[in-house]
Amino acid sequence: MLRIDRRLILHLDWLLFGLTAVLLALGLMTVSSLVPRLGLRQLLWLGVGGGAALVVLSVDYHTLARWAYAAYGVGLLTLLAVLALGRAAQGARRWLSLGPVTLQPSELFKLVLIAVLAQYLAGRQGERAGWDRVIVPLVLAAPALLLIVKQPDLGTGLVLVPVVLALVFVGGARWQHLGLLAGLALLCAPAVWFLLHGYQRERLLVYVDPSRDPLGSAWNVIQAKITIGSGQVWGKGLFGGTQSRLAFLPERHTDFVFAAFAESWGFAGAMGLLLTYGLLTLRGFEVAAGARDSLGSFLAVGCTVLLASQALVNLGMVTGLLPVVGIPLPLVSYGGSALLTALGAVALIANVRMRRFA
Amino acid sequence: MRRTRPESADHRGRIVGLLGVLGLGFVAISGQLLNLQVLSGEHLAQLSDKNRLRVRPVAAPRGIVFDRTGLPLVDNRPAFILAVVPRDAPDLRAVLERLAGLLRLPVTDLVERLGRVPADSPWPVRLARGLSLDQVARIEEWKLDLPGVSIQVEPQRAYPTAHFAAHLLGYVREASESDLERGRGRFHRGDLVGQSGLERLHDDFLRGRDGAERIEIDAYGRPVRILERQEPVAGAHVRTTLDRRLQQAAEEALGAQSGAIVVMDPRNGDILALVSHPAFPVERFSGPLDRETWLALIEDPTRPLLNRAVQGTYPPGSLFKVVVTAAALQAGLITPFDRLPCPKTWTLGDRVYHNWEDRDRGALTLREAIQWSCNTFFYQLGLRLGPDRIGQMAQQFGLGRLTGSGLAGERPGLVPTPAWKRQAFHDRWHPGDTVSFAIGQGLLTVTPLQMVRMMAAVANGGTVWRPRLVERIESADGVLLRHEAEAVQGRVELAPVIYDFLREALLTVVQDGSGKEARVPGIAIAGKTGTAQTHEFRDTADRKRRDRDHAWFAGFAPVEDPRVAIVVFVEKAGFGGQVAAPIAREVFKALFLEKVASAGRES
Repeated sequence: MLRIDRRLILHLDWLLFGLTAVLLALGLMTVSSLVPRLGLRQLLWLGVGGGAALVVLSVDYHTLARWAYAAYGVGLLTLLAVLALGRAAQGARRWLSLGPVTLQPSELFKLVLIAVLAQYLAGRQGERAGWDRVIVPLVLAAPALLLIVKQPDLGTGLVLVPVVLALVFVGGARWQHLGLLAGLALLCAPAVWFLLHGYQRERLLVYVDPSRDPLGSAWNVIQAKITIGSGQVWGKGLFGGTQSRLAFLPERHTDFVFAAFAESWGFAGAMGLLLTYGLLTLRGFEVAAGARDSLGSFLAVGCTVLLASQALVNLGMVTGLLPVVGIPLPLVSYGGSALLTALGAVALIANVRMRRFA
Repeated sequence: MRRTRPESADHRGRIVGLLGVLGLGFVAISGQLLNLQVLSGEHLAQLSDKNRLRVRPVAAPRGIVFDRTGLPLVDNRPAFILAVVPRDAPDLRAVLERLAGLLRLPVTDLVERLGRVPADSPWPVRLARGLSLDQVARIEEWKLDLPGVSIQVEPQRAYPTAHFAAHLLGYVREASESDLERGRGRFHRGDLVGQSGLERLHDDFLRGRDGAERIEIDAYGRPVRILERQEPVAGAHVRTTLDRRLQQAAEEALGAQSGAIVVMDPRNGDILALVSHPAFPVERFSGPLDRETWLALIEDPTRPLLNRAVQGTYPPGSLFKVVVTAAALQAGLITPFDRLPCPKTWTLGDRVYHNWEDRDRGALTLREAIQWSCNTFFYQLGLRLGPDRIGQMAQQFGLGRLTGSGLAGERPGLVPTPAWKRQAFHDRWHPGDTVSFAIGQGLLTVTPLQMVRMMAAVANGGTVWRPRLVERIESADGVLLRHEAEAVQGRVELAPVIYDFLREALLTVVQDGSGKEARVPGIAIAGKTGTAQTHEFRDTADRKRRDRDHAWFAGFAPVEDPRVAIVVFVEKAGFGGQVAAPIAREVFKALFLEKVASAGRES
């Protein structure tokens, strides 16, 4: 199964590969400059993730999708297990310890959910679109979302929402149904408020009124803004970042890594990074539009929206446009599970493109 | 597997639509980057360059706890706090050692306070609270050698006296690691958190919200100027139902003895006073506890941490005869006109049961039996009633369940039933169990709070109140945040004539019976004494020793229109009539003769 067809190598998406490599390099560089020890660890994760990506690449995505439902079942059980016996850090149970490494199953589950939804929707193509086109994907996504939010990992839960909606949308749901769904969602919004944990509510409130908690969330946002802004147009250079190096910036190598990057490379560098994500998104949608079949198209849409929305939400949060929710910057932030997931998503897109003629 | 092409044109259109939506996001981020880095870049760079910007928390004053007349029970007073910003102290260890020398503290204490705070943290860490003026002067003198160290003034709890209402009010301490974990961002390291009593029950209201100051500091970590100040929001004020002067009088009446006193208004369940002795020194608890104090409190055989009024469970002794009497009259087993013998001893099977006094009183009416608290009389009555009817009546009076006071650690006590005994002891219920049950001994246990509530129910004609400790909570600027209405937990449905009989019988107890010592001239006081055995007698001489018995008195006044119910419990002190009743008398005196506000005022 691991035998790679030479023809496939010829069709390898070098643009996608190049864009990914740029982001990985920038991330590795920034993380190493902040916490050298973690840079090395990130490199190790990159090795593991690269290997996993090669495996994903080498297996036809149709074969992968056949396993989607089984993986979905296993995934739900794993999420339950995390709730029951996961390792708690900062009040949240998100991690599972596996010997020396800890995994965050909610991260990897994102890909499984995309595969399940793509598989389901692909099977429905060519039929008249009914309510099931909207309801079934939501029903598939709901238990996972609940489990993830319960961990609590609001950020991961949150990025799954645009992914699910995007798949429902391109999966051919009727406009009337989508409209009704949107109306319903608006009605339900107040209920979500009561499901949130106290600190999650506080974060949203702090977003509306940062002065509520000048020592907590507001501090993060204010410091992140100062850090980004102080980079000005050309930046302070890789080791010139005083804000991020001097620990003014919390979570500077994980969720807030972009602030450190923008401090070092200024507006020019930040726009370059943004552009790279933009091109990656464009390429992903191009692959989706030109895929051989609907399964491939849906997989590509899901993975692209996952990467793009995660990047946008993270950047929005770090620049103070969105409330602080814990989401890493894909391919750049430090963190093993997130890196594995992001590489997996890129590999799935490449997988679809490679086999567009087969 | 079926491989399908998506409905082509629409499909591509929708992908372009998605791209458009995401594109908007990219545009928004670009705009914000332009704003931050190019338009405001210079300004933000300046802020960052100074690198001397600190945020200093401004502690919110905790809410004040008032009594029902508006007198403060707990207040705040400014206290000096010693804090250090680890980032501003290049050699933190040396600074701590110097501080330890100046304050005459072991350096390990200070290191411990720093805990797991990283060495480059820009946040101030509180090292000590409540410095003396002398200590402050010494630190100010050496200021230049203490980079990163600052003295701040923060409000701190002040109590009228060290032990005043300690159990009820509770105490505050800096949030522990587990508080921080549980609190999930509700509080920060160094915040004061209520740990017991009302301080804990209403911590969310009392705490308020801290403010902050953005300050510029110089190379020594000394503030140069305040750039911005955000005022803290003071904690909400709690208006309790307590009467401070009555509480004080009750504490004095109990004196040095171990025990509890609770005073309740039978008309609405308000707790006017709640005393438990020995108490712990509240103030010392607020600061960092040293190991010795901690161990001394934990291992103290008199258990000062135990709130005896709600956490202590004891056999009620003869107080329970009130319940048995109510049950017997309700069941029609006896009328006020029937008589039963009251011999010195009474035999059941091969076991001999004694009365508490060494004399045969002949045949007594129910009222006389209560007046003289005749055990042998009640043995016979109890046996006729049986455990189920006694137990049901006890439960109606609110025994064996939590009262709903909300105080942490409150215990329900136990009303035993044959079924329960079978389950817990794998033993059947013996007639002897019923005999003990009838005089409030054996497996039955109650809290003093339950006893005062029972007496209040007799006084008010059957209403079992949920004790009310807090009447309302108001924000510092006077907005009503919460009002606790009086609440009924249960009702004891008895014929009114039974209540009349009980009140009258309890009046004779104080006027001319076992409770004579509680009498205050000019006030019609009703009550019942109790002497609860805490051990099995080994022989006759042992039976005469009373120093291991709990002394009880529970009552209410004035009988014609009861305004207060009271329970006095004294641990291992002797006869209820000799020990507890005189204490109750002192409290009644304070209530009625010294014109304590709560008793005189109509609610």
